[in-house]
Amino acid sequence: MYIPDFEYYAPDSLDEACQMLAQFGGRAKVLAGGTDILPKAKTFSPIAPPQTPLPEILVSLKNLEELKKIEYVPGKGVVIGALATHNDLVNSELLNKKYMSISEAAHQMANNQVRNRGTVGGNLINAVPSADLPPILIALNASIKLVSVDGERVLPLEELFLDVCVTCCTEKEILTEVVIPDQKMTGSNYIKFGARRSGALAIAGVAVAVEVENNVIKDARIVAGAVAPTPIRTKKAEDFLKGKEVTAELLEEAGVIASGECKPITDIRGSAEYRTNLVRVLTKRALRKAIDQGHV
Amino acid sequence: MSLLPEYRDPSKKKEYAVIGKSKPKIDGPEKVTGAAKYCGDLKFPNMLYGKMLTSPYAHAKILSIDTSEAEKIPGVKAVITHKDVPSKKYGISPARWDENCLCIDKVRYVGDKVAAVACVDEETCYKALAAIKVEYEPLPAVLDYRHAGDEGMPNIHEEYPGNINTEIHQEFGDLKKAFEEAYYVRKDVFQGQRAYQSPIEAHCAISMWNGNKLTIYSTTQSTHYFQYYIAREFDLKMGDVRIIKPYIGGGFGGKLEPTGLEFNGAVLAKITGRPVKMFYDRADMFYHNRGRHQGTYELTTAVDKNGKILGVHANFILDGGAYTSLGIATAYYAGALLPLTYEFDNYKFDMYRMYTNLPACGAQRGHGAPQPKYAFESHLDNIARDLGIDPLEIRLVNARKPYTTTVNSFDIQSCELKACLERVAELSDWRKKKKEGMPKNTGIGIATGAFVSGAGYPIYRNDWPDASCMIRMNEDGTSATVYNTTVDLGQGSDTVICQMAAEAMGYRYENMRIISGDTEAGPMDFGAYSSRQTLMSGWAAKRAGEDIKRQVLNMAAAMMGLPPDDLDARDGIIFSKSHHHPTKWQPLTYEEVVSQYCKLYGPLIGKGMYKVHATGGTFKGAAVGTSPAYSFCVQAAEVKVDEETGEIEVLAFYDVHDCGQPINPMLIKGQVHGALYMGMAETYWEEVHFDPKTGVCLNPTLGGYLLPTALDMPKIIKNEIVDSYEIVAPWGVKEVGEGSTNPTMGCFRNAIVDAVGVTINSTPITYEKVWRALKDKKEGKQPAEIKMPPPPANAAVKPY
Repeated sequence: MYIPDFEYYAPDSLDEACQMLAQFGGRAKVLAGGTDILPKAKTFSPIAPPQTPLPEILVSLKNLEELKKIEYVPGKGVVIGALATHNDLVNSELLNKKYMSISEAAHQMANNQVRNRGTVGGNLINAVPSADLPPILIALNASIKLVSVDGERVLPLEELFLDVCVTCCTEKEILTEVVIPDQKMTGSNYIKFGARRSGALAIAGVAVAVEVENNVIKDARIVAGAVAPTPIRTKKAEDFLKGKEVTAELLEEAGVIASGECKPITDIRGSAEYRTNLVRVLTKRALRKAIDQGHV
Repeated sequence: MSLLPEYRDPSKKKEYAVIGKSKPKIDGPEKVTGAAKYCGDLKFPNMLYGKMLTSPYAHAKILSIDTSEAEKIPGVKAVITHKDVPSKKYGISPARWDENCLCIDKVRYVGDKVAAVACVDEETCYKALAAIKVEYEPLPAVLDYRHAGDEGMPNIHEEYPGNINTEIHQEFGDLKKAFEEAYYVRKDVFQGQRAYQSPIEAHCAISMWNGNKLTIYSTTQSTHYFQYYIAREFDLKMGDVRIIKPYIGGGFGGKLEPTGLEFNGAVLAKITGRPVKMFYDRADMFYHNRGRHQGTYELTTAVDKNGKILGVHANFILDGGAYTSLGIATAYYAGALLPLTYEFDNYKFDMYRMYTNLPACGAQRGHGAPQPKYAFESHLDNIARDLGIDPLEIRLVNARKPYTTTVNSFDIQSCELKACLERVAELSDWRKKKKEGMPKNTGIGIATGAFVSGAGYPIYRNDWPDASCMIRMNEDGTSATVYNTTVDLGQGSDTVICQMAAEAMGYRYENMRIISGDTEAGPMDFGAYSSRQTLMSGWAAKRAGEDIKRQVLNMAAAMMGLPPDDLDARDGIIFSKSHHHPTKWQPLTYEEVVSQYCKLYGPLIGKGMYKVHATGGTFKGAAVGTSPAYSFCVQAAEVKVDEETGEIEVLAFYDVHDCGQPINPMLIKGQVHGALYMGMAETYWEEVHFDPKTGVCLNPTLGGYLLPTALDMPKIIKNEIVDSYEIVAPWGVKEVGEGSTNPTMGCFRNAIVDAVGVTINSTPITYEKVWRALKDKKEGKQPAEIKMPPPPANAAVKPY
């Protein structure tokens, strides 16, 4: 197994990184953990050629310490640096206290080795449909910041994803942070369904966030992964829940509606029909858990 | 418990010094510290790296191969095609040698070998392979074994018309009569999947020549078979081929036969005059395969009203892939081992192993037995349900007794199957659970298994001893080294061989050393397959140890002034059995006696060998499945099914084994846990997927081919062994481990059916499959039936 030759840069500042990307254009890609880009570029044997050829140039962000932080900024929310690793999310005291559901979602990803290397930014920009972080982050209404030599823009995370492995982040831009705004939501969580308990891609995954007061759902966000080209919000199910009293039947019905909103494919991990069923079941269960456990 | 106590070893209850104890693994420290060197770790001065170019087509004519551009690339030292290698066909099953080092006229599966290169580094290999131009004429491919024999299908091997690789028809007793007289007859059809061994360590071979002598370091399960087949391919004397096995990271049947890595590596090394290291990556391993055959299994069984089996008809078809590999044996094993666990007098076995344009299948843990056994155990539960008999009781009614002969002429000596059944019932609280019922969506299933303790006959016909062993004392008596050619794949054979040798010598395990797996250092042994080493290689080690002890006692007798018969040795101390005196006839140490011996006579060497007694019947194929002894085991599983997703949680797992007298209880536990792991994996997860149009493997990675993780293993695993002693084995041992995979799939399937009452007749039992079966049941739909394909058009005999 080997990796083809490439040029490698590890800039010391975000400015420098942005300038490099502006200069190299489409020839360069950002390296932020490398758990996707590097294995996919490896030749394992002539019979398994690289899935994605490596770009000519890799710009590593590993020296940008400021992008590794997870902190609370009053008035803004919890800021997760794009270079925080999955295990940083798992172990962050701040997240454990404020958004346990994010730590739990991160813990369900891949395996310990990948969680040590892989980063939030890498996971988001890689944009595979089965990614485990986007559903819970979107459910908590996360926004992201994209920075380039031309300036910066902030947008809701759910607008980042355009198609399978396609995002609106341009060649020149670097995703620098994810912000979880202060919540009115009272509960949230992500349920992943994989064929085995560790190191399996999601056959389907559903994240929910709910605001419940006196057993009435005031607000709900439901996001499904691995059942469409991008993570999708099942807005009909969200609207259906709003203003209604929590009952088992209500959650069941919300699951049915949500399952009608996904557009899964059939592959070796599962059929479209099975995935649709999973969205129904996982939505119901995630809602129940979010409501019962009473924390986000 | 045995029926014939007079045959039991009178010394059985004696406290052994070394065996029967959980001695630490002899290679444990090296392996856990990383000091152990595997084939892939080895480097030699001037060593080149080699890789093979493989076919992108499942079936195609090779029109031309142009290597000229590849040869021009700097760092490329040799490029070879079929013109540079022997054209003699090879294989591991002598009846069907059908594989070439490199394909000559056509390729037969995606991954078939076309050319090979040797270069200064791995990267250059890939550049060279990309520069080789091969012109193919694609041919229609045969990708579904169930239709491989249909009229008008393309022929994969000219020599085998109609794509029939192996055809078997055996009949014992009078099955027609049994069916006519039966109280009840039931037919079921089951289906299994292609699975792959997935050893941790990838295959690797480093070939080098010294004049006309070829040395290969290889990831092999049998140095002897490699030596024999490689010598044969290159017309060399066996003495001019040296095979060395470094540490091995698992084989499970996938490393028993030499591959293109050895054959082409040897040619590249010869051409370049340099050592050449060739190796597979994970994807290459999936394409080389030699893993579990997939098959369709039709079983028809006649029983009386108590569930006693009167007769069985097994009608099977297997997907063999593009080449034979060990598949003839697989095909015979599939039917031959079925009569082991239950006694019945009428049996018919029909089998077609079909060629397809997919990677070749071979021997995987349990060889041909696990899928047919899964089918039979599922089938038996169906019969029990139809008759209202408890699954445990129907197995007790039919369970084999010791000192019996199977319908297909296998002689069984020790057999504690009933004791295993009863003990599993106790451990799992079976009868209480059956009487009082279990919580909703939980269920319990049971299944039995049996396996050979070494094949009765070698793979190619020969009359060499099955195992031999040599022990040399270090001159000062402080250590003893075992020399043999057994193969420790991780199962711990080096450890148990040293335990057995030390016990026989009256010496200490801690002072034992072993050099195994070098054809130039140790005497011949056929290696690690068919669960043969503890019994067969164990005999050789025991006899070599006794040979040492005899010489040591003789020497000590002279030194002590006592007759040798009066002496014994234990833990390295030689003592008189009758003379106990405060000053005279004092015990001697091995160190004292061996030193004296070596000073007087030179090297102190012991040797031993083992040859299987004549086994089995005289009908065609009677040799496959014979063994000096058979192990038996029973497993039960408790599962909980998530009705909405089909997800299965294994609540508890029970295994009780009749593996004869244990040598190392810790290693037995390791084998049983490992077998459970593999059995569970094949039950729920493992399946090699191919594109049905192109024959391209869709999941040749460990991310795509799911094996269970530690988190997926059941939290409660209870395993025990029953009191048993095998008279033909050293210290009464029998196999454990390989055979433990036989009941696993069946007991899980039966537990799932017990939990939710659905019909599932194929593996893997994925969560989606369970969900779908539940959905069909809820909607009142008939479950999709698995149909037995018709016999191949070209079949010599078609089953009735």
